[in-house]
Amino acid sequence: MGLVHGEEMVLNIGPQHPATHGVLRLQVKTDGEVVSQITPYMGYLHRCFEKHCENVTYEQVIPYTDRCDYLSSMSMNFGYVVAMERLMEIKVNERVEHIRVVMAELQRIASHLLCTGVFGLDLGAFTPFLWALRDRERILDLFEMTCGARLLYNYMWIGGLSHDIPTGFVESTLKFLDSFEPNIDELENILAHNKILVERSADIGVMPKDIAISYGVTGPNLRASGVKWDLRKNDPYSIYDRFEFDIPVGEGIKGTVGDCWDRFYVRIIEMRESVKIIRQAISKMPKDGDVHQSLPKKIRPPKGSVYARTETPRGDLGYYIESDGSAIPYRLKMRSPAFTALSVMDEIASGWLLSDVLAILGSLDIVLGEIDR
Amino acid sequence: MTQDKEKLIVELVNKGLDGDMDSVNNHEDKIVRAKAKAMIMKVKKGTVERPPMPEISNQVATDPISGNQDQAIKIEDPFEKVKKVITEKYSNDLDEGKEANCIYFKPDNWLEIAKWLRSEPSLLFDSLQCQMGMDMGEDILESRYNFHSMELDHYLEVRIRVSRSDPKIPSVEQVWRIADWFERETYDMLGIEYIGHRDLRRILLPDDWEGWPLRKDYQEQETYHGIVVPKIKEGWD
Repeated sequence: MGLVHGEEMVLNIGPQHPATHGVLRLQVKTDGEVVSQITPYMGYLHRCFEKHCENVTYEQVIPYTDRCDYLSSMSMNFGYVVAMERLMEIKVNERVEHIRVVMAELQRIASHLLCTGVFGLDLGAFTPFLWALRDRERILDLFEMTCGARLLYNYMWIGGLSHDIPTGFVESTLKFLDSFEPNIDELENILAHNKILVERSADIGVMPKDIAISYGVTGPNLRASGVKWDLRKNDPYSIYDRFEFDIPVGEGIKGTVGDCWDRFYVRIIEMRESVKIIRQAISKMPKDGDVHQSLPKKIRPPKGSVYARTETPRGDLGYYIESDGSAIPYRLKMRSPAFTALSVMDEIASGWLLSDVLAILGSLDIVLGEIDR
Repeated sequence: MTQDKEKLIVELVNKGLDGDMDSVNNHEDKIVRAKAKAMIMKVKKGTVERPPMPEISNQVATDPISGNQDQAIKIEDPFEKVKKVITEKYSNDLDEGKEANCIYFKPDNWLEIAKWLRSEPSLLFDSLQCQMGMDMGEDILESRYNFHSMELDHYLEVRIRVSRSDPKIPSVEQVWRIADWFERETYDMLGIEYIGHRDLRRILLPDDWEGWPLRKDYQEQETYHGIVVPKIKEGWD
């Protein structure tokens, strides 16, 4: 390539395009099939999250966090309550901590299932997408059983949970895990070692370590670049330091470390690790304990600020909360993992073919609700 | 003698040899204290080799309260160290501020300091976790940066204050690439201008939007391209 230069053409992918995973517009400059520059335009889904937060009380923020990343609402709730509990120095009881971990890990599986399924769909594989959604539905059923909602839960509260888990939840979860584990192998076999998918994703869109760190890329995308960094291990919050699990990193099995295939494969392995954590959390969960025990009567955190990070399926979710001592946040900033992941697009995707750009975008696993907030 | 006690003695011996004789002298158990002291003497004479420091994990597990305190001190310490290194080098660029858990800088020299923060071997802040802006009232806007060093695993928060009439801060977009979008967002929401940014445009709002929404005195524009902009409602209709 590079020897012959044709006329440059500007092409808009989106805002309404199934491969952009939401309302995102990628303005790409192309020379024939080769993409020379990518400029993402977002904000189509901007709902003034941070401005709204300055007008509602602390507990009323939680439903808004649900709607930021609508594919992993539990993790968004979790991040916010961890930040608030750190600011107000609330300690919740053991049962609440265990339930939270179970929910967050179930959510991680649900989110990764959708991501891997849709990644296959982007590259033309339709069957695994249906398989992934089939299993995801069963997780949503478990959530529905717990709090009545399938997508936007408002389940974790500052100092507790909205409901205790219902009778039969533990059994249903274990039953689900038993039948789900073989399904991961099935999903891996049909996708990860599929020749077409390997050809389309291995060695494509390589993200080196230093670029990933400089662009603030976190979560599975960072780990795929070979950095062993997981907040659950490196800076444990809640009770994650008590569980045994591995941090999968990209090893470049099919190509180079940090290519699209690695980013996709890390997520498959992470689902297995999440299953391990859920089993441990369920077996250690105390039988008694009131989930409303440490709910504060009124939420008025002391003056000051806190920056707390948690590991969501998409990476480090940070909440920066500044309190002026009243019942309403003075300023609340959400540091969104998908926002930083999208910013690396131009760096790693220019120079590739147009069809590869969509593969790279799919492998980054972005959610526009969280980018635009 | 149980294994725990042996571990305890070895631990005390190590502490004593490192100059912390108080924790040996103040130990409650007489036998442990005596044995530890005897061992210290032997090590000093050279008849016994110095034992390696045992892992103290089970002690933390049995005593959660003191364990938490230990952790708190451990988290505090690296920051004090970082703060000392920075204040020694850039004492002229420090700004006054109320909070103790962060460092305030004047905006003028920020780019140079940022490059130094990233490259200095004892700091190595290679990851910009979060950048945000805030309207502090009293004519002051603040830009806050949360750093983390992946290699050395320590944290830092930097705050830079500028006046609302002239909100200009040097951009660090070329030091940490993610600052590119973070600064665009802060510009979009609060109107802080980052000097030297190569592509300072609005990022979430449309380019021709008026005003800076996250400033506390923000007034929505009446119409946007002929569309009426809804106001924030007071109470229930």
